[in-house]
Amino acid sequence: MTIDDDMLMAFADGELNEIGRARVERALAEDPSLRARLDAQRRLRARLAAHYTPVAEEAVPERFRALLETGVVDLSAARAPRARPLWQSAIALAATLVLGLALGRTLLVPGAPDSGPIAVEGGAMVARGSLAEALDSQLASAQASNAATRIGVSFARSDGRLCRTFDSAAAAGLACRTDTGWQVMMTAAGSGGQRGEFRQAGGESLLVQQAAQEMMAGEPLDDAAERRARDSGWRRGGASR
Amino acid sequence: MQAFERELLTLLPRLRRFAHALARDPVDADDLLQVALERALKARGQWTPGTRLDSWMMRIVRNCWIDEVRSRARRARTFLPEEEGASVGADTHHEIEARVEMHAVDKAMNALSAEQREVIALVLVEGLAYREAAELLDIPMGTLTSRLTRGRQALVQMLELEAA
Repeated sequence: MTIDDDMLMAFADGELNEIGRARVERALAEDPSLRARLDAQRRLRARLAAHYTPVAEEAVPERFRALLETGVVDLSAARAPRARPLWQSAIALAATLVLGLALGRTLLVPGAPDSGPIAVEGGAMVARGSLAEALDSQLASAQASNAATRIGVSFARSDGRLCRTFDSAAAAGLACRTDTGWQVMMTAAGSGGQRGEFRQAGGESLLVQQAAQEMMAGEPLDDAAERRARDSGWRRGGASR
Repeated sequence: MQAFERELLTLLPRLRRFAHALARDPVDADDLLQVALERALKARGQWTPGTRLDSWMMRIVRNCWIDEVRSRARRARTFLPEEEGASVGADTHHEIEARVEMHAVDKAMNALSAEQREVIALVLVEGLAYREAAELLDIPMGTLTSRLTRGRQALVQMLELEAA
């Protein structure tokens, strides 16, 4: 599996969740050139720290202290717009979720159930066509580098159902296997889509990774367990020996 | 001194470091900090007590810096006519001389775009989490990470940090 620079740097910055970290660590163990890239990043951080830290350690010039002591204090200044309260970040997150839902909707093709990757059946989103095929057959540990849909991680939910994250040009998301097929639990912008701004460090949307993290019971499936799960047709408990 | 100034005082070393990471040389950096502090004192009514003064203040430093970058670009465009040619030439010559003496890290940081430079300053120098930095700059996370990646790739190359 290739690790792109966004992901490697998020790893160096401690910004990846467990799934992402495990993925990068596995790749680092196998790939000396990746280790060299990581080392270069560490050297950069050390170089910047060596250059800028002394500024924060030396005494602050007197003129700044004096400015604060005498103060250009203007109490009559209008109490204009307030600083951004914390709850606004919650709203920003909610807005991102709504965006994900809106994108999901555009992928749905009413009246043409076979043409889009995601369709609505009985009020639930289900994977169709190439997406369903990739979820059924593709192993995260052995996928072509040019595969249209990439599988991120496979895992079991607390009720034993098996779920997988996916990413494609059109959409990224999380799907869980039901008795009849793959139910798409959530979608977000795909990494190859036009909305590149929302592409996250892990290649797949951060929202998808977070959703997977929250839904997961225990660890993600390793290569062998994923293969067993596929060979059992993704039935409940199909990953165990 | 009131609580506002006292808290600002404790933040000064960090704010000064941030200004140094943004501005093109140490003299400009201290001028930037001065302007930002003046602006903050005037706008103190806009700060909500109980919220983070450091983020509020870093945003002001950054906005003052962007204003300076823009007016510098405007001046460069305005003063290009012939009659100004000589003085611009002298100025440029002076700048080039200063740059030769400049520290390699300053030089590399100066070569970055303003967008790359500010994310590097926030995340790599000031140690902000991606989410905090994206919020401070009002940009989506994906924009932040891609600027960060490109800025870092450029710095690693300019500072020759790849393994030999």
